Amino acid sequence: MSEVQRKKYSDKEKNSIFDHEFMPHIDSMYNFAYRLTFDEDDAKDLVQDTYLKAYRFINSFEKGTNAKAWLFRILKNSFINEYRKKSKQPSKVDYQEVETYYNSDNVDYTMTSDLRVDAVKDMLGDEISNALNSLAVDFRTVIILCDLEGFTYEEMAKILDIPIGTVRSRLHRARNLLKDKLRSYAENMGYDTEEE
Amino acid sequence: MDKNRNKSSESGKRKLNCSDESKCFELLESILDGEETSSSKEILDEKLAKCQPCFEHYHLEKVIREILKNKCTKQMVPAELADSIRQKIQEIK
Repeated sequence: MSEVQRKKYSDKEKNSIFDHEFMPHIDSMYNFAYRLTFDEDDAKDLVQDTYLKAYRFINSFEKGTNAKAWLFRILKNSFINEYRKKSKQPSKVDYQEVETYYNSDNVDYTMTSDLRVDAVKDMLGDEISNALNSLAVDFRTVIILCDLEGFTYEEMAKILDIPIGTVRSRLHRARNLLKDKLRSYAENMGYDTEEE
Repeated sequence: MDKNRNKSSESGKRKLNCSDESKCFELLESILDGEETSSSKEILDEKLAKCQPCFEHYHLEKVIREILKNKCTKQMVPAELADSIRQKIQEIK
């Protein structure tokens, strides 16, 4: 993310950075790409394009810094610029609408949930995955970055080009939407989700 | 944040209403995301011991994070992807 600072790596250094700092993240990159596109071929193309870009712009990467966040940022931007339009499953919520409506940093944290811990614990991987996949891409993305990949708020802010306050509020909203989904699954499973 | 602390009738019982849910929940979520470090453990212990809404919110949020991390199966990376990337890099060199 230190794009201003230009390095001049030798070919040997470039290969070393690529092999030791970039390629170890291919699993996480592919999973992120797959959860964005829901398509194996699109995910492969997206990861490949990201790595080609990373190599092309390797001089703007500072050796030893956060390669994973740097790569995720490139992947996210490639997705927005190139894949979003042709993605086989278009996001269900209009992007602009999400941006304007949900980007307020003043989030109501008081929303109480009648979802039970036990019901959530009994859920299967497929149900969790489907609930996550059903979220609009901006909400899905923050959950993937935070909970599946373990990025900090600060790293997420850099990957997504948004302020930390927005990361925090978007994440909170994303989890609330996820809880709504899980609550409807819990009802189908016969769990009583009403308040006592 | 803890104005009602002394109002909890019996010791060991959690108060049923949180006086500042919004701030507490935000803090609890930050702690779960690993964002709060300084003295968060003490604050957390106190809230969970004394406030029922905080207790419930914390445990639900915690389990949500756990199932996301543990149950969202990872997609197998196609075996040929890494080779294909290396080959493309050779071509643009």
